[in-house]
Amino acid sequence: MSLATKAPPGHFSILYFASASSYTAKDTEHLPAPLPVSKLFDRLEEKYAGIKSRVLESCLLTVNLEYVDMPDDGSVGLVIKEGDEVAIIPPVSSG
Amino acid sequence: MAKELSEGSRYAGLTHETLDAQSMMDRVRSPKAGAIVLFAGTTRDNFAGKPVKELQYTSYEPRALQSMLNICTAVHEKHSLTAIAMIHRLGVVPIGEESILIAVSSPHRQAAWRAGEEALEECKEKVEVWKREEFGGGEGGIWRANRDGAVGVRIDRDEKETDPGPGPETNGPVLRPGRLGERGHGPVVARLDPRSEKATKSTPIIE
Repeated sequence: MSLATKAPPGHFSILYFASASSYTAKDTEHLPAPLPVSKLFDRLEEKYAGIKSRVLESCLLTVNLEYVDMPDDGSVGLVIKEGDEVAIIPPVSSG
Repeated sequence: MAKELSEGSRYAGLTHETLDAQSMMDRVRSPKAGAIVLFAGTTRDNFAGKPVKELQYTSYEPRALQSMLNICTAVHEKHSLTAIAMIHRLGVVPIGEESILIAVSSPHRQAAWRAGEEALEECKEKVEVWKREEFGGGEGGIWRANRDGAVGVRIDRDEKETDPGPGPETNGPVLRPGRLGERGHGPVVARLDPRSEKATKSTPIIE
């Protein structure tokens, strides 16, 4: 099952698929909340050097199963809350 | 046991079991339908001529099921289908076996042909399923991306240096700089190409 276990208090769950999972060597983990989505990729880059350019830049993001936009105008955008389920969605290859 | 999502005469499924074409056809069978079109996608033993030892699919299951059902709903409505069913296999899929089945039924065949193709293309573009091709012989594997020019990423994490892989003529893992927040593939809004819609509407139905 790909779903994350429940995050401890003050944390959210993040799911990694395909290339993101290979790069982090994880399927899922818990990160401290709250966190604006605009800071998420920088946060992951601190943990996994190189992931931004190698993986994240071609990925989309879901929060609680809905796609969210990454703000590109310098605004904060959506804030990830405690208990949320975030997923990194690399380019898909079904079929 | 398949994970499923259905609504009316639309069905989406994900399973680790072998796919069964007959049962998918039976899902869309109806006395109101004069045609059933079935598409079966099977796994190839090579990637641009390079032998593939094994294929494996993973998925963000709840998200993928919702995307599949959204596609079914949009295609169903656009082509006034009788029914549509789509199932994708996950885990290791041996070479030559079905990884996806799409069955559509409609009163007349033209709509079914078109709907079947559109449903597949939408699925390949949007559904949150990922294919990993293992080449064997210590060479590792890659995560494939359906989108043209998308990043192909090697599985080995230690191998950080960019491997340009085969050239574009072989359709190999294409590595290119991406823009931050670049759309790898659109959000799932069951959007269909308005041009094809217009084309469809203006096409006379040939009995």
